[in-house]
Amino acid sequence: MSDTILLRQFITAAYPLKDEEMEALLTGWQPFECRRKTIITAAGETERYLYFVLEGIQRGFYIGNDKQEATIVFTYAPSFSGLADSFLTQTPSKYFMETLTNSRFLRKSYKEIEALMNQYPNIQRMVLYLTGFILKGVLERQIELQCFSAEEKFKALLKRSPHVLQIIPHKYLASYLGIDATTFSKLLGTVRL
Amino acid sequence: MKKYNSIELLIKLQADVRQMILEANYLQSTDPGILLQQPVAGKWSVIQVLEHLNSYGNYYLLAIERSLLQNKPSTGAFKPGWIGDYFTKLMKPGENGRIAHKMQSPKDHRPHSHPDAFPVLTTFLEQQHYLLELLERAKAKNIGGIRTPISISRIIKLKTGDVFRFLIAHEQRHFVQIENTLVAVRGTTNKYPATLPVM
Repeated sequence: MSDTILLRQFITAAYPLKDEEMEALLTGWQPFECRRKTIITAAGETERYLYFVLEGIQRGFYIGNDKQEATIVFTYAPSFSGLADSFLTQTPSKYFMETLTNSRFLRKSYKEIEALMNQYPNIQRMVLYLTGFILKGVLERQIELQCFSAEEKFKALLKRSPHVLQIIPHKYLASYLGIDATTFSKLLGTVRL
Repeated sequence: MKKYNSIELLIKLQADVRQMILEANYLQSTDPGILLQQPVAGKWSVIQVLEHLNSYGNYYLLAIERSLLQNKPSTGAFKPGWIGDYFTKLMKPGENGRIAHKMQSPKDHRPHSHPDAFPVLTTFLEQQHYLLELLERAKAKNIGGIRTPISISRIIKLKTGDVFRFLIAHEQRHFVQIENTLVAVRGTTNKYPATLPVM
């Protein structure tokens, strides 16, 4: 199935696995589809699945006081998705995951991933390795949020992921950077990259 | 009658419940004074609407949990019964968020006049998470073959798939009322930002 080929390519590029491990990892993913603006996992739920995005854009967001929304993360193909912290710790999430556009995924339950990690130490190492990079990204973003000005945050985002301007609505990008939507469009007009 | 893939139906209903969890989260960050205010004397406040929904949750969640204990495995398909389908269509708001048929609530489901805001919201959210869990369990069950007694008369039992459908349609209906109440109380719509159309 061509969807699994995409997943195979993604894992091959991310971490070296033996053939047997790769075959075990690739079996049993369920296709899952949903329309735009569907909540995949709600705050208070524990993430049951690891998702692999085949198509579409998703975002994680937190609802703060006075209806302030904070966009935590975006995911899009080809990459893993879902509420990673809730999934790995199997504890309730504090934030939501939704689709921004019609989306297609492969997904696999926590129990299955856990069984794979128990059986194949190399798959566990891969999960640890990928989690390490997620943590690195999260902490870098933490630095940007605490130390950077609006303009610096805007520039850093466009340097790191210039394509997001085309695929993600700007109000969500502004929310991701923690800046005003009007400030964001001003920066878009004035900042030279 | 339209026949459903039962798993797809349950996944869709879970998405509907999650949407209400999202909206209830927005309500949690709204001034309790607004949530407790009646738009006009005699009309329900947002909290009263939620309390009304909780009173149904109190009955149905336990009734569904009990019926799902039956050992009837999923057949993969679900065909609504005519009464259940009729109730669901009667309850469900239109695509434009309009309520076609106005209804009166039964006496034993009318809320108190001034309940406390946060416990009512907390109970509502707990019930929605419980409902998500029951929908998850139902994926392994025959939701057409297993019947659940309804609240008006325990003698009448409907297909559990239909009970899920009209219970959730009833909640959606009242979320339209909640939005209208907020507009009336505030005089302006400040609707859940997450549901604004994508730019």
